[in-house]
Amino acid sequence: MSRVFRKVLLFESVSAVLVAEKVLKDRDIPYKLIPVPKHLSSDCGVCIRVNALDLRSAEEILTGKVKVLSIHELSET
Amino acid sequence: MAYTIDARGLACPQPVILTRKALETNDDLIVLVDDTAAHENVKRLAINMGFVVEEEQQGGETRIRINKVGACTHAAQGAITPQGPVVVVIASDTMGRGEDVLGGVLMKSFLHTLTQAFPMPDTMILFNTGVKLAVKGSEVLDDLESLANAGVNILACGTCLNYFSLKENLIVGVVSNMYDISQTMLGAGRIVHI
Repeated sequence: MSRVFRKVLLFESVSAVLVAEKVLKDRDIPYKLIPVPKHLSSDCGVCIRVNALDLRSAEEILTGKVKVLSIHELSET
Repeated sequence: MAYTIDARGLACPQPVILTRKALETNDDLIVLVDDTAAHENVKRLAINMGFVVEEEQQGGETRIRINKVGACTHAAQGAITPQGPVVVVIASDTMGRGEDVLGGVLMKSFLHTLTQAFPMPDTMILFNTGVKLAVKGSEVLDDLESLANAGVNILACGTCLNYFSLKENLIVGVVSNMYDISQTMLGAGRIVHI
């Protein structure tokens, strides 16, 4: 079973996710908007998934533009 | 003699797909799994289809015996066994009415969830602006592709693609027509309309 190492970035609001999405898109950082994994929160939220390798650049680019609430490991098969 | 599927080491949803396919032609089946998610998903599939399930742990592996014996009793107890295929109808590129930006977010979220859902739909029908989800540049192509790879039949309304001049840009699914779309809907066991 192959494991792909990815990180999820959680934000304060859906609007914040949309800001982050736009920033990442403009800078060509590969990302995906996904529902917040159930083990992190049971509310109907969305978050941003990035490849673990892109995490640092994503964080740098987002700094000062939108506040990242938390970052979590995510392994999907 | 039970038919045996060795699903050890296979990634989800492969064990479920193999089991579902085998149950179309076999009433007595043994599925070997070595993964908790595969174990649960295969078990749920069999129960939802009205089969009786017995499990046997052998080290890190589980041997799941699926058969029809007593299945009628089980169905009579109220197991949900939809007759006919599950069809998801997507009539727009946004989920819900009111605020399109939010609707776009919800649609991305929904389609991603669908790739991990169980049971997976048998068919998805995209029409009106829903076809825009399956064309070049769509942000949900990867999710639609993984659904298609898992065996979901994706139909995109040809009239709609034509209206938006997107026929050449269709990446996932097949160009369909209203005859197929209406027949698929009428023949569905369950329709989920988004």
